[in-house]
Amino acid sequence: MKPATLPQAFAILLRRDLTLAYRRRSEMINPLLFFVLVTALFPLGIGADPELLRNIGPGIIWVAALLASLLSLETVFRSDFDDGSLEQLLLSPHPLSVLMIAKVLAHWLITGLPLLVVAPLLAVLLNLSGDATATLLITLALGTPVLSLIGAIGVALTVGLRKGGTILSLLVLPLYVPVLIFAASAVANSDAGLPVNAHLSLLAALLVLSISLSPAATAASLRISMS
Amino acid sequence: MLRFFHQLASPRHFYRISGKLIPWLALACLVFTLTGVYQGLVVAPTDYQQGDSYRIMFIHVPAAWMSLFIYMVMAAAGVIGLVWHIKLAEIVAISSAHIGASFTFLALITGSIWGKPMWGTWWVWDARLTSELILLFLYLGVIALYNAVEDRRTAARATSILALVGVVNIPIIHYSVEWWNTLHQGPTVTKFDAPSIDLRMLIPLLLMAVAFKIFYAVVLLLRARVEVLQRERNSAWVQELVKEHE
Amino acid sequence: MNPVRRKRLILIGLMVAGVAVAVGFALNAFNQNLMFFYSPSEVVGGKAPVDHPFRLGGLVTTGSVQRMSNGLTTRFAVTDNTQTVTIEYTGILPDLFREGQGIVAHGKLNENGVFVADEVLAKHDENYMPPEVAAALEKSHKEATGQGGTTP
Repeated sequence: MKPATLPQAFAILLRRDLTLAYRRRSEMINPLLFFVLVTALFPLGIGADPELLRNIGPGIIWVAALLASLLSLETVFRSDFDDGSLEQLLLSPHPLSVLMIAKVLAHWLITGLPLLVVAPLLAVLLNLSGDATATLLITLALGTPVLSLIGAIGVALTVGLRKGGTILSLLVLPLYVPVLIFAASAVANSDAGLPVNAHLSLLAALLVLSISLSPAATAASLRISMS
Repeated sequence: MLRFFHQLASPRHFYRISGKLIPWLALACLVFTLTGVYQGLVVAPTDYQQGDSYRIMFIHVPAAWMSLFIYMVMAAAGVIGLVWHIKLAEIVAISSAHIGASFTFLALITGSIWGKPMWGTWWVWDARLTSELILLFLYLGVIALYNAVEDRRTAARATSILALVGVVNIPIIHYSVEWWNTLHQGPTVTKFDAPSIDLRMLIPLLLMAVAFKIFYAVVLLLRARVEVLQRERNSAWVQELVKEHE
Repeated sequence: MNPVRRKRLILIGLMVAGVAVAVGFALNAFNQNLMFFYSPSEVVGGKAPVDHPFRLGGLVTTGSVQRMSNGLTTRFAVTDNTQTVTIEYTGILPDLFREGQGIVAHGKLNENGVFVADEVLAKHDENYMPPEVAAALEKSHKEATGQGGTTP
């Protein structure tokens, strides 16, 4: 058998992860339900004043998206670690950082993309304007991949630990803060009818920066954790 | 010269040399702190706007400088440890984390105490304050990760990577007052067009900054020595040391 | 050059290119408005949000501070030396609040173009000097420009 080239290996890994996720659909849906539920809890807890909800809506949706992404992070490497396929991956002759992009891409397609689909619904619940909803979708599209990319580093660092979950949130949440700040204030600005180009441009900068640097960091962390 | 550094990097020599250095550094730290406090509280005049309240600057500003400086040291030592597998660099990196977290906390607290009378608030979410708070969380993350991993060497290497990822925050803190319209004022000392700070106020500030740097060196050496002993507890030279003290 | 090393070089090149693109995006962002507070010129020019609370920063105009009859409300104007905006604030002002001082206020514009603040913070500058020096400086500045008072 001929060894797979790098693009082939990338595609195989991606398809494998997507198939696995499809077989365990409930795991895929849980973070999404969490996202919707947490957002719905706020109007119940704070009171349903439409003006208030409109002011805090962008922040609520983004915090909920952050937590949902955090909740689903462990699935990036957990099952691979348990069944030993992660060690096989480390033995691959291909650059590990490129394979990491495939893993993160699969994770984003499974957990990040569904957030974009339900976000307009939540925007309606929180009384956001049409412009703000459009901006919300753009920020989610730019921001959630960053969350997956940064999160992968954290998971790679904690994958072998027994109590990895709590440590993971401590490592990853501070690094999520810039995304939260710029994304939420972009949505709030567009709700107030202000320009949002600067915020979106910064989010794009974060996305490009994390795509170029975080796979290498994830690969290095994984090698250290598995050594 | 190269041989000297190579020797220094071996835990045994490090332990011996640092033992001799610490009393001198501690003495220097004491001298700088005392003169700095005297200059700052007695010699320095009151400020034209802030009266005597500004004197908290002599703690706040050096502490804030240290919070950034120590993070850079930690990340640099982490890189050295990752690339050249030098144990001592790993020890320096992890020993710095606690000290850095303490200085960051000190900078935040003193800034808060300064902000209440001057700005009229304990805390605002402007870029400088927020990014300094993130720095504190980064330090705490590094410490938590180090404690969570059982094998010391794996732990040190993992924390080095985390520290390296967090370096992104350092320029954001430093330039936040220039990039954004923050409530926090701009830099004073690194700005060259006079008059920004009176010489009698600048001297205690710099004295305290030096005192803080030496304090960091002393505490770093003390912590690193403990870490070295713990890691090398099964080696012959540590056993000998223990016998000597029995 | 062997293939492994070439592959690694390509990856590093891609990473560097990525960082460069990210810096480009960030610089583009900083060229636009991304601020903690708005200046009076921006408020007068209609760039500030209507019906939404925001922060307004500027220097307190000399001679503009008036106490209202109820004793707690203060009315004053802030300027960036181009435009001025009137601010109304009920509450205790910070120690550093005085004429000529930089402040940041949080609140909303009302229909008369008056900024109704719910919080006023004083922004102190990065200069530290004893009062004598400040007085001497001001004097020499006045002599140099040949006029008294602040900039018109």
